[in-house]
Amino acid sequence: MKTYLRVVLLLCLALCGNTAQATESSGETSVLDDSFYESTPNEDTVPDPFEHFNRLMFEVNDVTYTWVMEPVASVYSRTLPEDIRQVADNFCYNLQEPVRFINALLQLRFSDAGIVLTRFAVNTIGGVGGLGDVAGTEFGFKRVEAGLGETLEYWGVGDGFYLVMPVLGATTLREFAGTTVDGLSMTPYYFFADSWREGAAIYMGRRVNNLSLRLGEYEGLKQLTIDPYAALRDGYFQSRAQSRKHSAPRTDDKL
Amino acid sequence: MKTVLHSLLILVVLSFAGTGRAATPNPTEQIKPFVSKVVDQLKDPSFKKDTVDNRIDKIVTLVSERFDFEEMSKRVVGKPWQRLTLAQRQEFATLFAKLLGHVYIDKVDTYVAMKIEFGKEQLKGDRAEVKTMFVDATKSIPVSYVMILKGDKWMAYDVFVEGISLVRNYMEQFKGIQQDKLISTLEIKLQELKAESERKGATP
Repeated sequence: MKTYLRVVLLLCLALCGNTAQATESSGETSVLDDSFYESTPNEDTVPDPFEHFNRLMFEVNDVTYTWVMEPVASVYSRTLPEDIRQVADNFCYNLQEPVRFINALLQLRFSDAGIVLTRFAVNTIGGVGGLGDVAGTEFGFKRVEAGLGETLEYWGVGDGFYLVMPVLGATTLREFAGTTVDGLSMTPYYFFADSWREGAAIYMGRRVNNLSLRLGEYEGLKQLTIDPYAALRDGYFQSRAQSRKHSAPRTDDKL
Repeated sequence: MKTVLHSLLILVVLSFAGTGRAATPNPTEQIKPFVSKVVDQLKDPSFKKDTVDNRIDKIVTLVSERFDFEEMSKRVVGKPWQRLTLAQRQEFATLFAKLLGHVYIDKVDTYVAMKIEFGKEQLKGDRAEVKTMFVDATKSIPVSYVMILKGDKWMAYDVFVEGISLVRNYMEQFKGIQQDKLISTLEIKLQELKAESERKGATP
């Protein structure tokens, strides 16, 4: 039955077609070429004119993380079992699927848009309002990322410059604008929040929940770095480039 | 006569074949036993009780079997590498190996608890990439090794964790450091790491 459902869903997606843009990887330097290490394209092309301010914000975030976020997330993770925290993460993620669907469409990634729509439908109905990720675990439809920052990039809008924002962390002007609009477009879903304070509390709650699932990673990164600021900036750009290789992901979990 | 000529021909062909290039060794087959050896070392209860210096020395000796720290350092330092003396290059590579040794000793429990699955490999001349997946009950972390063929040994010179190149990340960090401060920067970092590891070891 499961296989049958999966075939039907895949057929629907195939009918949607896919005219997405050609993969960037075709013109990309292979990791096996020495030229891969000759330059760091993202850092060279995205300027960091406010480095002093950004370094200061990095320090502020570091202190906030160490003394506020991390202790809160640690207590939270000890209080709630991981299953429950994963359910909360699934619920919030599912609420954002319509925003991802629109962005995938705007990027002409029709197949990905189909997957997002399928995930939203299956998880909302079969996953009891998005509490479970049935589409991912039972039908193999993995999460697909699509945000306004990427849509703007697709249509030729440049990054602007590198920024470190309080709490949000590493971003660029374009990505920050995209994240803000994506976030605001979520407000109709926060039907239970009457004021901006409650909305902000929900946002912080989501951050803490997400952090509780990745505790220790930041400390690990920071401890082994020579310049944590440069490491995080490079990590941000490498990670973003990686997450946008939709056609041929290097981190394919099927190996 | 025909038989003798035939035999001679085969002999000539065989002797030329013998001087030809041997088949390229398989990178995945070479890295598999190496990974097992590292995991066995980390699992060894006596390893955990050893001093920080001894643990670093043991792990660096073991990892050097399959990691070329000089190739790695050359890329991390970039252009200034050409201006370093041979002794400075070796010192940098040794210190950088110790820095990476801390990745292993500080995260022993994390790695030991995970299962390692080997995936596809990519070959291009004397370069190869071997993809692996570190898996536990809740997450899967893709890790791939980028390797260079030295003689008949595949030696890793970069590691990608979740698509992020370790070498490129360090490259970016060393960019702002003056050539004459490269080694002292690493020495200071290693002292900090040693103190931190000892502090953690002393904490019950």
